Amino acid sequence: MLNANSPLASGPSYSFATPPNQTSTNIKQHSFNPYTDNGGSTLGITGDDFAILAGDTRSTSGYNINTRYAPKVFKIGEDDGTGESAHIVLSVVGFAADGNALKERLNAIVKMYRYQHGKPMSVKACAQRLSTILYGKRFFPYYVHAILGGLDEEGKGALYSYDPVGSYEREQCRAAGAAASLIMPFLDNQVNFKNQYIPGSGEGHALEARKATPLPRAEVEQLVRDAFTSAVERHIEVGDGLQMLVVTKNGIEEIYDPLKKD
Amino acid sequence: MFIARSEYDRGIKYVSSFPESRLSSTSNTPPSTFSPEGRLFQVEYSLEAIKLGSTAIGVATGSGVILGVEKRVTSTLLETSSVEKIVEIDRHIGCAMSGLQADARSMVEHARVESQNHAFHYNEPLRVESCTQSICDLAIRFGEGAEGEESIMSRPFGVALLVAGIDEDGPQLYHAEPSGTFYRYDAKAIGSGSEGAQAELQNEFHKSLTLQEAETLVLKTLKQVMEEKLDSKNVQLASVTKEKGFRIYSDGEMAEVVGRVPTN
Amino acid sequence: MNHLPQAWGRPRNAILGAYNPSILQPSGPKAHTTSPIVTGTSVLAVKFKDGVVIAADNLASYGSLARFTDVKRLRTFNRRTVVGFGGDVSDMQYLDRLLLSLDIEENYGSSGHDLNALNLHTYLAKVMYKRRSDINPLWNQLLVAGLDGLDQPFLSSVDLLGTTFSSPTLATGFGAHLAQPLLRKVVDDEAKVGSVTREQATNAVRECMKVLFYRDARSLDKYSIAVITKDGVELKEDEELENQSWAFAEMIKGYGTQTV
Repeated sequence: MLNANSPLASGPSYSFATPPNQTSTNIKQHSFNPYTDNGGSTLGITGDDFAILAGDTRSTSGYNINTRYAPKVFKIGEDDGTGESAHIVLSVVGFAADGNALKERLNAIVKMYRYQHGKPMSVKACAQRLSTILYGKRFFPYYVHAILGGLDEEGKGALYSYDPVGSYEREQCRAAGAAASLIMPFLDNQVNFKNQYIPGSGEGHALEARKATPLPRAEVEQLVRDAFTSAVERHIEVGDGLQMLVVTKNGIEEIYDPLKKD
Repeated sequence: MFIARSEYDRGIKYVSSFPESRLSSTSNTPPSTFSPEGRLFQVEYSLEAIKLGSTAIGVATGSGVILGVEKRVTSTLLETSSVEKIVEIDRHIGCAMSGLQADARSMVEHARVESQNHAFHYNEPLRVESCTQSICDLAIRFGEGAEGEESIMSRPFGVALLVAGIDEDGPQLYHAEPSGTFYRYDAKAIGSGSEGAQAELQNEFHKSLTLQEAETLVLKTLKQVMEEKLDSKNVQLASVTKEKGFRIYSDGEMAEVVGRVPTN
Repeated sequence: MNHLPQAWGRPRNAILGAYNPSILQPSGPKAHTTSPIVTGTSVLAVKFKDGVVIAADNLASYGSLARFTDVKRLRTFNRRTVVGFGGDVSDMQYLDRLLLSLDIEENYGSSGHDLNALNLHTYLAKVMYKRRSDINPLWNQLLVAGLDGLDQPFLSSVDLLGTTFSSPTLATGFGAHLAQPLLRKVVDDEAKVGSVTREQATNAVRECMKVLFYRDARSLDKYSIAVITKDGVELKEDEELENQSWAFAEMIKGYGTQTV
């Protein structure tokens, strides 16, 4: 009788000689990675009575360009049945499949809210809800950086930015995605006037800092264009097209500008 | 043999000498089964149960809503402060009840959870109508339940609620029934004295009522339909206003308002 | 066969190394697909003014072995849409069965309305995303080609992660590197789809299949090609590459006849 645990008395050894080992320490973990990075960048800036969300339209897989037109900025809560127009915009950048799933979920929730409570959802309420959605997947996160935009109860531009697990904050401006580290310092300087001082306002280097004031829409739009044309030059995952959604009290306006396709 | 149609339809148990006719008696039918006339007897009976309950009144004004209930102090040994017929749902919503108080506990609990859940998810207070709707959603979850689904309650609730609250549309008053229907009212009375009280409210209510006038209107109306003599111990008032939210009146405030009620 | 019946049919450790018993673990983590086994290579597709052209070769590889040489990787759905499969062939066959049952279900009592390419792509995207979210992926990249609800050409992709994208030209696998740049020369913009003829699109796809056969070691010269228009699907499953020229190979070490 052959003992499975001991090698055969003579001749070559065979696979069955090694029994399944309960205490085997090298249990193979499966190697499927459920995430990928589809590149691209998004950016949001608010003004006194408007909010702009923008994103490039390139989608990448490694060094490949999947498509030159894959929107990252979406209208939320648009009802094509009643013609009720949306007043909230969402941008998602990171893992595109999660981004789409997140967008569709928030969209359904905002529509349901209108039916259940008989009023459109405020941006403040939507911001909190988006946070709880993201945190709800704390241990299998939506791998995206989201930015939510709209007008607050007073009609002022509102912008909320998120991390993948739902931490959020209302801000004046925010860049996210691949070129965030390129765009954000530019925004700090040009929107919040960081490191800008009033000439001749003090002795030596003790100058008075230039105070940030809300910018007019045309100026903000140009800042967005400049931010993206610059990011295209320095980041390979950014390019092809620039999509902007501008929220004002009159609704949401969509603008598309081409970017370099290289 | 046929049983008399009128009795059959009313659901009166008819015991005939023919055993098969027992099948048509409605005494064993589940509460969610329609009668041939298209009625749900258990729901209608639950409405009857409310008519046995103590009277509760709500009056909505432009500046807030007043709720009032009679406490029915059945014994001099009863600690009147333990009779809780007006309860808080959220900072901005409260309700008065009439009927089986124990049933109201689970409805109020449900409404409180919905309210907190909404605040957690949306960072804003729940609207009064949405709160009332959520109570009514619970109210119609009786019966057998769908296939494979566990039935929650074997019978309808035996309590009606007056839900008072304030939101961006101002002060509002809703009446929620065990049938799951609800309506908004300017002024509404429920319970044993509701018929007389509602007629009184019909006469006395007008749109420009102040909060103080509403307080006295509620007590005056209660006084007319109560069997006991109204005093500051056997009635309870609460208000919902923009400034203070939901508030149950203290003993001192009760005494003050009771003092204002005309004696006749 | 030797004197040890227990050893019959079992590989000798000396040849293949010791058998890894970890897959026999009764406990431990449940392992779903962690890599594809039998695979199909590129799928190519191009939109033109009246529809879409899509092609894939008929090879299913087992690692570097050309294992099955008559595998049809283009599948039609309700005579209106074609799905091209790259990646694991068994997962492809599962999806094919899934689509067949979907088609049957959709035909019960449906009154003349049936699913178009856009509907089918949305459905497949949900299936793929659900499976990746369960960490049990279907190891494929699919191209869905047909017409949308407005009878406009529709072409879109979904992969094992549930990632979706759409473009006038698409190519999976090796084709994403080799064919996509060539196809983009034909149409690089959605706005230009209207000026591309069926011949231009078909020729571009056939040319790319040839380029892929030259350079992709997991490809075959037998392929399937389908053209989807308003009139339906024209699917040819026994095409062969024509006018091959291996002259370039003479210049390349390892390809041609050089010995040094």
